[in-house]
Order: sequence, then C-alpha cells, then structure tokens
Amino acid sequence: MKILALIAGGIVLFLASLWAAGANPVTAISQLVTGSVGSASALSGTVREMTPLLILGVSVFLALKAGLFNIGAEGQFVIGACFSAATMLAIGGPLGVVAGVLVGAISGGLWALPAGYIKAFRNGHEVITTIMLNNIAINLTKWLVSGPFKGEKAVSATSATLPVNSQLTPLFKIGQFELPQAVVVGVLLTIGVGYWLSKTTSGYELRAAGANPTAAEFAGVKTKQVTVKAMFLSGAIAGIAGALQIAQFEHRFYDGSSVGYGFDALGVALLAGGNAYGLFASSFLFGALNKGGTSLMGLGIDKGITTMVLAIVIIIFAAVKYRQRGGRND
Amino acid sequence: MIDLVKQCITMSIPLVLIALAGFFSERGGVINIGLEGKTLLACFFSVAFSSKFGPIPGLALTIIATSLVSLIHWLLTQVYRMDHIISGMAINLLATGATSFFKFRFAADGLQDSAVPPKMLLYALGIIAPIALYWLSHKTKFGLQHRSAGSDPDKARLLGINPQNIRFSALVGTGVLCALAGSLLVAETPQFTDGMTSGRGYIALAALILGGWRPVNAALACLLFGAASALQIQYNGQYIPSEAWKSLPYIVTLFAIAGFLGKNRTPAGLGKP
Repeated sequence: MKILALIAGGIVLFLASLWAAGANPVTAISQLVTGSVGSASALSGTVREMTPLLILGVSVFLALKAGLFNIGAEGQFVIGACFSAATMLAIGGPLGVVAGVLVGAISGGLWALPAGYIKAFRNGHEVITTIMLNNIAINLTKWLVSGPFKGEKAVSATSATLPVNSQLTPLFKIGQFELPQAVVVGVLLTIGVGYWLSKTTSGYELRAAGANPTAAEFAGVKTKQVTVKAMFLSGAIAGIAGALQIAQFEHRFYDGSSVGYGFDALGVALLAGGNAYGLFASSFLFGALNKGGTSLMGLGIDKGITTMVLAIVIIIFAAVKYRQRGGRND
Repeated sequence: MIDLVKQCITMSIPLVLIALAGFFSERGGVINIGLEGKTLLACFFSVAFSSKFGPIPGLALTIIATSLVSLIHWLLTQVYRMDHIISGMAINLLATGATSFFKFRFAADGLQDSAVPPKMLLYALGIIAPIALYWLSHKTKFGLQHRSAGSDPDKARLLGINPQNIRFSALVGTGVLCALAGSLLVAETPQFTDGMTSGRGYIALAALILGGWRPVNAALACLLFGAASALQIQYNGQYIPSEAWKSLPYIVTLFAIAGFLGKNRTPAGLGKP
C-alpha cells in the first residue's frame, strides 16, 4: 500500500513537472521514445550512452554484492580514462589500446584501494571516502590534462587525439546502426562477473561477506581481505570503462570526459536488483533516457526531466528492494 | 589582507551553515549525502521566490520549501525505511534534474538589487549558528534526545523517546540551515546557474566529519577549508596548482576518516532505523 502511494506520487510528480514547465506530457513522452529507440541512428546513440553505463554498472554491482556502495566509480572512471589515454598515445597502434585498457584497469583499481582499506581496517564509511576520492580524481586529471598530458597543439585542457589505428572501430554497421566493440566487452564482462559471483568459491565468499559479514567471518571467510579485493576489482572495471570510452568514442581525454556516468551507474546497478543480467535492461533504460533527454531539447524541454525520472525510478525501486529491517514502530 | 579575510568569510560561512545542517541530521542518526542537493534546491527556491515576493518573504518561503524537501528525506528513510545513502543520492539527483528543468520557467533572470536576500543577516546567522547549536545540543532536553536518537536508537526507545519523531525535527533543522546557506550563495551571486553549489555539500560533510560531528569544531573545519579556497583564489594558482588547493579538504578528510587525525567519533546509531 505504502509502495503504491510512492509510485503514484512519482507519476504525479513527473506529470506535474511537465505541466508546470508548460510542456505537453504526450508530446514529451513520444519524443522521448522516438528520440531514443525510434530510428536506427537513435538506437545507435542509445547504445553509445548505454556502453559506459553497462560497464560501470558491473563495477558498482560487484561492489554492491560485497556490501559496498562504490560511489567512487566516477573517479575511477576518469582516472582510468586519463592514464589509459596517455598510455595509448605513448605506445600507439592496436598494442597501445591493449596496454591502455590494462593501465586503465590497474589505475582504476588502485584509485579505489584506499576506500577498501579504510573500510576494512580503519572502519571508515566507503561512501564518504569514495566521494572524497572522486573529487581528488577530478582535480588531479584536470591538472594532468592541462599540464603534463596536454596535447602539443591543444588550446584547451585536452590530450592529443589518438592515432587512427588506436581508435576502436564499430564491430559492424547495418545502415545507420553501429554496434561498438566496447559494448561487446561490456556484455562479456557482465556475463563473466555474473558467472564468477554465482558459480565460483571466491565469488561466493564475496557475496557471503556482503550479505552477513559476521556469519561469513565465522565460516572462515577473511572478510577484510575480501572487502579490499572487491573494491579493487570494482575500481578496475570502472577503469576499463574509462579506457574503452576513450578508445571507442572520445579518442582523447579532456576535462569533463565523464558527464556523471559514475553516479548514473549506481542507479543502473540498483535497478538491476540482485541479478547481474538485469544490468543489460537497466543500462539500456538509462542509456535510452540519456539519449531521449537530449532529443527533448529540440522541443524546448530541458533534459533535467530525465534526471528527475531516474531519481524517481531509483526511489521507488529502493523503497521496494533496499529497505532496512528492525526498529519498532514499523 | 582585508580582501583575504573578506574572501575567507565569503567562502566559509555558507560551508558552516551546510555543515551544521548536516550536524542536525547526522547527530540524529540520518546519514546525509543529500546536503548538496538540498542546498542546490534552496538556491533555486531563493531566486524563484525572492524575484517574485521580495527578499524577506522570499527567504521565509525558501526556508519552508527547503524544509519540506528535507522532510521527503525523513519520509524515505524513516517511514519507507529506505537505505540512507540511496535516498540521499536520489535527492541529489532529483535536485540536479528539477532545478535544471525548472530554471528557465521560474528562475530565468538574475535578481534585482532590491530582491537580493539579506546578506548581512545571513552572515550573522552563520556566525551565531555554531554556538547556538552547541547550546541546543548540550544544554537542552531536545539536544539530549537528539543525540540519543543518533547514538543508540534502541536504547532511546527504551527511555520512551521516539527516534523517528526526533529525526523529524532534526530534518526540519537541516532544511532550515540548507535554506539559509542557499540564500547566502544567492545573495553573493544573485542568479541561478546549474550546479551552483559546486560540491559545497560534500565539502561541508567533510568538515562535519573532520570536526567529529561537533558544531563548533565543524565550523572551525569549515573556516580551515574556506581559508584554503580564499588563499587559492587570492594567489590564483601561483605557487601551488589551484587543483591541489581544491583537493586539500578532501585529502585531509580521507586521513580524518581513516582515523589518522585522532579518534573516530562517528555517531554510533548513524544510519540505523
């Protein structure tokens, strides 16, 4: 009953917002749909938006399974993107891409490590530490790209552009529709992580540490080490997302290479529920909203409305799924 | 020198107000990642209401509206028992989206001089607030109940205190202080721009942690962070890159959370139902 009230409240809030801003809800919603999945090129755009969200979604999902809120995916993403771009530029060619992705994974993982360590051994909440690390990462990469990593001819704070043989091409093209290689990597990562978590001993230990640390400890799981490991892996995957974003789409690193993908990823992971394969649907939904939101601007409707929709969806979903137990007056 | 002191005050007082807003909810047991969003909404309300109704009614309406938003946080965490962090993030997201969506309709133009929120009053409140909150927290019955709801909600229940009710008032307090902070930011630059809080909510949260969840100490931490940004603005990255200055509060906080700067004083009932 309470949940129904919340859902009704969310819908009313959405429609009232459109009305208050002077937009016709029917036109807005139909524009949102055609702008995101209405044509082959729109669908391509949605897949492009979906790609970083899927990979970052896996990153946050993995941490979530270990009982960690990795709000730091954003920082790990930009660190991975920045260092991998520098590597790809330094080495060049397809080998540079491979090395770049590796460097992206390692740097992203290392960036997450302090949060894991502080959580496991110093009893500090990972949400606060990862938010701090995000801000440090954003400042650090901004400094790097306006100084040491700045492209020779660049006017603004941006690295040089990757040579053509380091840029990932689409896997295939059918008419207007392009399938990026990066999304395929994302799909494989999702399946891999899903399999690892559900079918292997170490994956099981991670889930046990997340579900009930005391019981897991009692059963012989070294929960502290598992926490640090989970945070490192989560950061590494976020770093891969950053590296692939550069290699496939952006071709250079600049200040603002991420438009808050890391924060959206939290929504993606939460919305997937407990199921890794749910990430496909949730990242697609978020991608479609991002892409459709941009096309709404043609109607003079600010894309802020899609951010609101995401927030409402997260609230409703979290009220159903992530409720706390205990306390008296329930 | 005078400029530096002025700059320092301009940078610190909004932080003080936001950090104390955080004090209200976190000491009462509600984790508040949503400070950034609430302050951003307060900026928006301040521009929208002040341009229409003038400075004093505008301020009053901003306080009411921001308190109502803060009560959404209460509804989600206390009635729906939602995870505190998820609900805080959702409020930030909602605030970012809503302010950007509505700004052209309700806060398109800057404020006229006659509509700017009362700057001096807000600064004065920011200076008095830490002491007032110290008094409220340590010398009054509400303060005792408030701290008990945050330290051990179960024991508080045994003593006949209902943590949910206490947290209701605490979150109203959060809303009021965020409203003051947002109005002050608008008083300094009388216009609404997307994301104009620029991470102050998180820095204030950092200051609160650094201050060990105590009002006066948190205000001093804000002063420290404010002084760092004032120096950075004054010297404009001459000796040390400005990005390093900007990172300083976050680095210090990391060490504070890790317990390298003294005992960890997290309220024990933080985030508990």
